[in-house]
Amino acid sequence: MSYKPNEQDWMAYLYGEMEAGERQKLEQYLMTNPEAARSLEQFKDLRAMLGNVPEQEVIAPPIFVGESKQRYFWNAGYFKTILAVAASLLLIIVAGRLTNTQIVASGNEFRITFGESRPTEVTPTMPLQTLTHQEVHDMIASSMHQNNVAMQSSWDESQQKLNNAIRENLASNSGKIDKLVREASAASQEQVRAYVSNLQTENLQMVKEYFQLTSAEQKDYIENLLVDFAKYLQQQRNDDLQIVQSRLNHIEQNTSVFKQETEQILSSIITTVGSTPQRETKY
Amino acid sequence: MAETLLDIAMMHSDTLITRARQGDQNAQGKLVQLWYKRIYNFSFKFFLDHDMAMEVSQKTFISMCRNLAGLQDIARFKSWLYKIAVNYCREEARKKKNSRSLSFDTVWNHEAEESPQWESSRQRAHNPESHYRQMELSDILQEALLELNVEQREVVIMKEYEGLKFREIAEVLNISENTVKSRMYYGLDGLRKILEKRKFDKDTLGYEL
Repeated sequence: MSYKPNEQDWMAYLYGEMEAGERQKLEQYLMTNPEAARSLEQFKDLRAMLGNVPEQEVIAPPIFVGESKQRYFWNAGYFKTILAVAASLLLIIVAGRLTNTQIVASGNEFRITFGESRPTEVTPTMPLQTLTHQEVHDMIASSMHQNNVAMQSSWDESQQKLNNAIRENLASNSGKIDKLVREASAASQEQVRAYVSNLQTENLQMVKEYFQLTSAEQKDYIENLLVDFAKYLQQQRNDDLQIVQSRLNHIEQNTSVFKQETEQILSSIITTVGSTPQRETKY
Repeated sequence: MAETLLDIAMMHSDTLITRARQGDQNAQGKLVQLWYKRIYNFSFKFFLDHDMAMEVSQKTFISMCRNLAGLQDIARFKSWLYKIAVNYCREEARKKKNSRSLSFDTVWNHEAEESPQWESSRQRAHNPESHYRQMELSDILQEALLELNVEQREVVIMKEYEGLKFREIAEVLNISENTVKSRMYYGLDGLRKILEKRKFDKDTLGYEL
């Protein structure tokens, strides 16, 4: 027999991945070669021993895979910040250029201008700085004086106007009152009488209406009262009648009971009289 | 029954992958939940380090979500996913090699060792002594695994612990199936020798197994 299994054959056999024909050949070879069989046993023992290594328990952590496979540097936070700052600066520069903005800071002056810059005349402000205390005082005093004068004149004027108005008002009012008084005195006796009579008839009418109204109400009330009273009386009578009826019934009953008793007593007397004549003789 | 259940699970997985490929974030999330433990365990055994395993797993799944649209054949999802993980593992291993040389102590995962999950996961250990021994055994095995070179290590982990077929591993590593089997052979052989060197074989463990 020229067959001699190689390493590959041994492994295939050991792990049961050998085809049937090959396996038979190898098993036959093992029968005739105890040395090879012993070597195979060793491998089997080793496999059994290797089976003692336990499995590691592990919990799968969450795996996140982003949509983009690459993280571009322009997605980084710092880059965005820098880009924003640069964009703002650019915007400011462009806006400044378009509006021709000029910013000047010299000495005590800070100036922002849009468009053409014009030299400003600062000379008028210069003399003001040289005014003395006294001069300022005088100026204030004079302006105050002028003001006072103007105020006085306007006050006088308005006073004058007010006086005139009051006077006119008074005159017109007194005129009106005089006219009214005159009209009143001019009213004749006749008119007064007519007025009074008119008042009287009105009063009469009113009183008449009032009485009519109240009398109607009273009538209603009295009617109601009478009806109620009649009802009450009727009820009372009914009740009394019922009571009388019940009493009569009662009496009747009593009478019948009494009658029965009497009859019983009588019958008993009769029977006793009939059966015991000797007793009667005793009496 | 198991067959049909497996079929249903596979169908579910296929629809999930299809939906995730179309950009359904929910499906992607579910896919991550479904495979995270596998990829984590693979990279944990590769590095024996929780932090690095977490890093590789996270990178793997981020890459998965991004590149899922480029996956041509849904049936190859598994090997495709492991391919990503293996590439990240190699990358991290290179970085680690360049940046620092690690003594075993720094790679040792104290946190995982002391975590209650570690202990609760071994239900076979009924008495404390065997529990302790078993812990020791698994530690020694993982240490031994770490001593293999990268090529053998990844094959051994994928075959022994992740249960990939030789064909799938060949797809992952873009090598021939025979090369995978050879690496597996020498990997196992290497492990046996390492354990023997530590006087750690079937006889000393006899009562354990």
